Amino acid sequence: MARAGGITNAVNVGIAVQADWENREFISHISLNVRRLFEFLVQFEATTKSKLASLNEKLDTLERRLELLEVQVGTASANPSLFTS
Amino acid sequence: MAVPVEEAIAALSTFSLEDEQAEVQGPGIWVSSERGATDSPIEYSDVSAYRLSLSEDTKALNQLDALIQEGKEMSAVLYTYRSCVKALPQLPDSMKQSQADLYLETYQVLDLEMSRLREIQRWQASAASKLAADMQRFSRPERRINGPTITHLWSMLKLLDVLVQLDHLKNAKATIPNDFSWYKRTFTQVSVQWHDTDAMREELDDLQIFLSTRWAILLNLHAEMFRVNNVEDILQVLIVFAVESLELDFALLFPERHILLRVLPVLVVLATSSEKDSESLYKRVKINRLINVFKNDPVIPAFPDLHLSPAAIMKELSIYFQKFSSQTRLLTLPAPHELPPREAQDYQRHYLIIHHIGSIRAEHDDFIIRFASSMNQLLLLKSIESADIEWCKEVKGSMYDMVVEGFQLLSKWTARVWEQCAWKFSRPCKDVIPTEPHDSSASFSDYEKVVRYNYSPDERKALVELVGYIKSVGSMMQRCDTLVADALWETIHAEVQDFVQNTLATMLKTTFRKKKDLSRILSDMRTLSADWMANTSRPESDLQALQHGGEESKGILFFPRPVAPTAAQVHCLQFLIYEVVSGGNLRKPGGLFGNSGSEVPVNDLKQLETFFYKLGFFLHILDYSATVASLSDLGFLWFREFYLESSRVIQFPIECSLPWMLVDYVLESQNAGLLESVLMPFDIYNDSAQQALVVLKQRFLYDEIEAEVDHCFDIFVSKLCETIFTYYKSWAASELLDPSFLFALDNGEKYSIQPMRFTALLKMTRVKLLGRTINLRSLIAERMNKIFRENVEFLFDRFESQDLCAVVELEKLLDVLKHAHELLSKDLSVDSFSLMLNEMQENISLVSFSSRLGSQIWSEMQNDFLPNFILCNTTQRFIRSSKVPLVPVQKPSVPYAKPNFYCGTPDLNLAHQSFARLHSGFFGIPHMFSIVKLLGSRSLPWLIRALLDHISNKITTLEPMITGLQEALPKSIGLLPFDGGVTGCMRLVKEHLNWGAKSELKTEVLRGIKEIGSVLYWMGLLDIVLREVETSHFMQTAPWLGLLPGAEGQVLHSQGGGDSPIVSLFKSASAAIVSNPVCQNATSFSILSKQAEAADLLYKANLNTGSVLEYALAFTSAALDKYCSKWSAMPKTGFVDITTSKDFYRIYSGLQIGYLEESVQLSSNSHEVLGDSVAWGGCTIIYLLGQQLHFELFDFSHQVLNVAEVETASTAQAHRNPHLVQGWDTLIESMKKARRLNNHVFSMLKARCPLEDKTACAIKQSGAPLHRIRFENTVSAFETLPQKGA
Repeated sequence: MARAGGITNAVNVGIAVQADWENREFISHISLNVRRLFEFLVQFEATTKSKLASLNEKLDTLERRLELLEVQVGTASANPSLFTS
Repeated sequence: MAVPVEEAIAALSTFSLEDEQAEVQGPGIWVSSERGATDSPIEYSDVSAYRLSLSEDTKALNQLDALIQEGKEMSAVLYTYRSCVKALPQLPDSMKQSQADLYLETYQVLDLEMSRLREIQRWQASAASKLAADMQRFSRPERRINGPTITHLWSMLKLLDVLVQLDHLKNAKATIPNDFSWYKRTFTQVSVQWHDTDAMREELDDLQIFLSTRWAILLNLHAEMFRVNNVEDILQVLIVFAVESLELDFALLFPERHILLRVLPVLVVLATSSEKDSESLYKRVKINRLINVFKNDPVIPAFPDLHLSPAAIMKELSIYFQKFSSQTRLLTLPAPHELPPREAQDYQRHYLIIHHIGSIRAEHDDFIIRFASSMNQLLLLKSIESADIEWCKEVKGSMYDMVVEGFQLLSKWTARVWEQCAWKFSRPCKDVIPTEPHDSSASFSDYEKVVRYNYSPDERKALVELVGYIKSVGSMMQRCDTLVADALWETIHAEVQDFVQNTLATMLKTTFRKKKDLSRILSDMRTLSADWMANTSRPESDLQALQHGGEESKGILFFPRPVAPTAAQVHCLQFLIYEVVSGGNLRKPGGLFGNSGSEVPVNDLKQLETFFYKLGFFLHILDYSATVASLSDLGFLWFREFYLESSRVIQFPIECSLPWMLVDYVLESQNAGLLESVLMPFDIYNDSAQQALVVLKQRFLYDEIEAEVDHCFDIFVSKLCETIFTYYKSWAASELLDPSFLFALDNGEKYSIQPMRFTALLKMTRVKLLGRTINLRSLIAERMNKIFRENVEFLFDRFESQDLCAVVELEKLLDVLKHAHELLSKDLSVDSFSLMLNEMQENISLVSFSSRLGSQIWSEMQNDFLPNFILCNTTQRFIRSSKVPLVPVQKPSVPYAKPNFYCGTPDLNLAHQSFARLHSGFFGIPHMFSIVKLLGSRSLPWLIRALLDHISNKITTLEPMITGLQEALPKSIGLLPFDGGVTGCMRLVKEHLNWGAKSELKTEVLRGIKEIGSVLYWMGLLDIVLREVETSHFMQTAPWLGLLPGAEGQVLHSQGGGDSPIVSLFKSASAAIVSNPVCQNATSFSILSKQAEAADLLYKANLNTGSVLEYALAFTSAALDKYCSKWSAMPKTGFVDITTSKDFYRIYSGLQIGYLEESVQLSSNSHEVLGDSVAWGGCTIIYLLGQQLHFELFDFSHQVLNVAEVETASTAQAHRNPHLVQGWDTLIESMKKARRLNNHVFSMLKARCPLEDKTACAIKQSGAPLHRIRFENTVSAFETLPQKGA
């Protein structure tokens, strides 16, 4: 009965595995940090979006107020005789 | 080299990424969702590097994986297949000649669809033969090749699962044969012109057989497998593997568990195709174990809306597999619809989430706390430069444990949702209780029965809660993906190294020393995964510390390295462990890790087993984000392709859509606890859209989902806004209820409202929906602005449809609205209330002062109030005359609105209405307060001016009538003689004062005088209210303006000519700030102090406002001056003219006695038309004309009263018949009353408008009265009054 196993060149494989562990440490380090960078960007986008949203809200309010003032000024300047006396 | 990267990344964390938004949605953005570990992306090509002679196995494995991939696509095509026949056009009779063209077109369209089915047929044939060949190759007893590996076994199971699913789907889809027969018909039509169609025809027949035979794929597979009769061994191994994994239920996530459950019945059917086989199978796996597995899960989810039942499958297959039909024990298992009621109850308890939600809640709460604390520990660890190694390992280990637990919980919960769905689909609602009465007659589609009416409110609640838990745990885990990654790698690395370096070393030294074969396998395991040098890069000191610790724990110690094993390493390790325990013999009796006949002692076996299953789970952890994504994916809740087909509709209404049902439930239930999970069901849409695009790859499904989401979200926003508005409105209304009233009430609780928190939702500026980002906050704000305006508009509409008395109610309702606005403004930025009010009042313009409300009040007064209301002097109220209104009033009908446009909830509406009703019957001081408050200083002057103009107009219209009356007066009327007594007097009066032809003018004049009186009295009320308002205003401003009460009640200025307290306060404060060198913007503070000065000036100017009543009287006086000569002729003789005078007082006196008499005769009827204001009007005019003394002397009723007095006195003296004057009793009484009233008016007038020296008010050009100015009686002040339109 044939048994499985039996790495043909155990020593070489062992050395290669060791080297592989070290190489992969570098790779996973880099890839993890790239992912962190990406995550940061996602976060940054989200935060920026909500900051922009609150800015937009303020602008909206100001815009509406400005519109109102414009209308008021419009009613007044449409009737300049009121201000001549 | 790695250091700069690390530093750079760490520097990023110095950015402040704080965000106001709460996490009330599921995970959104997947940084990486490809599976690196569970599906080796390089197709295990690195396995060969370990030189385990597994190349054959790897090749077969990859082939199977490719087939699985294709098979999944096939089943996606089949699942989303929609019948084309329904869409085919029919030709009208007129176009019959082009029938052939239509056939051709139809054929071409259908051919495309059918080619897909043909592809499926071809694919399944090749897949079955490849799978069978694979099984045969790897189950040869002589074993020339290594394998099958565990991964290979899994691939076989997965491929089998794909085939089973595909077969099941083919059976379930009824429209496919239908489409096919249509296709065949068109083919026969079209192919007439074609040559050699035999091959095609044959192919068609083949396809037809394939499509119309149930379980054709399995039958084919069976045939392929048993062409050579040696796959039983591997089938048995697969069964053993499946059963053991299911029983252990440790390393399985729910997708794998469902795969095993789906495959197992088919495997059993295949494996028991002969007597001998079944015997040997039951030797390895007791039949009871199988039955247990099948019994535990009578329904298994297969597709989103399609389930499988092992019992039903086995029953159906037994018809096709003759040998299996002898397995009576397996065949007697009841299918889900045959379950006896009691068992069904038990299963119901097992499947329905509602019975587990309590424990799930506890698990969730417990888990998130522990997870968060582990996270904090990890963060703390990262912030510490050099941490203790043991502690470090502990923290990371506990993080690892938490992640494992999290995955298991997510898997358990999501599986519950799947299984509940499958259960619900298997048991449609039998007795539908329609929610809306009108559709009770309509029949319900199957989908409505299994979804819409199959979830009770409690079940919906539990489902929302569970969806919320899954999504929130999912997003919590996903967010910390990159934070925990290296800790996880390190822990896994440590686990693997600990096993291969320590455990295996011990095993090698002890139990395996003698067994050369086995120990070789073990040392291979070490070779291919040990990381011996992990500690070489460490500094020396650490090493020593490590060695020191090493002596105690008696093992090789190694430094953890944050690198995980590759998929290939795990694959090889699993394979080698399996080799050790099975001895490479498929026929090994017993289970995988069963002890019987194994050469490995129990202890080691246990260790190997644990490590074996751990290895399986490592892969899921390495695929962290992909695992979280698949475990929290709830997109299946939307899909309904199977039911769409069977119901023959294009799409179901959204009321049948489970995600929307959940959203709707949260909104309708008003459950404060669920409110924040209202966005969670939208994640279901996100998931299903993702599935439609990525898994099913069908654009049309995405389009349908998108359309539904658009629709749902619109409804959601509008419903949410409605809820928010109602809530804040009720809150405001309940706060504004009188506390003492609430206290006295027994059932006061119904006026208090349940607090709800909308803050989290109101902060949502980016709702993730189908890849879009939606600013929910701004949407809500927009709608709120609109709804507030609509509400104000409605209140005005309502007021306009009622009379003036409703002004108190209007004010109250506006108050409630304003308070609601104030409460909402704390959480949401909405337009300022005054702005909205001004806008709705049409009061924006700078040059117009009449507002919508002002003009409404004015027109109401003009058209309804002045003609139809009568004054009661005693109560100071105006009430509506009970007579038929002289001036008919036409009003719009009261507009309808939802309860939240009043006060929120119906209960609160009732409470506030009963308060408003108190004020709805009269007009008095409270109404005046409301008017003053509502109109404010902006429109009130406009109203006053309008009323004063009304007075002067009335006087102008009265003038010719009075002239007429003057003409009708007899030439001379002497003093009433005493000798006739009262009777005589009255006869005389009647003779003189019949007014001749002008008598019809009488009522007109009286009415005019009444209106003037009403206006003046109204001004009096306004004056009282304004005084009060101004006094309180004064009390508030006086300390700031530095005003002090003097000894005699006059107002003194506290500082002689200096600044008032407010100005000096601001000046000194800004001086102090500006002098400070840190101060950035000094100008703004100086502006501040300038503004204080302006405020000071403005408030001081407002202090000495005049009296409205006095102004009104002055105005009236000026208006009367024009008619002075006519109404108050200077006697030519210079003496008082007694008999021939035609002055106003005389006219009025005549009118008064006339109406007094009338009122007595007609039982006080004319009094009800005129009220007390006639006296006010008449007396004021008399007074202002300077005729008060004349009137008091010569008034007819005065004279009559004098006569009556004398008469009574004389009768009392003589003791004679006292009844003589009695006939006039009531008349005399009312005359006395009139006299008292007249005196009251005169005394008031004397007080407010002293006339002794004709000291009146002059009126300046601006309209302000000038006090205490003397002017000649004859000079008309009217010329100086600002005239309207002048």
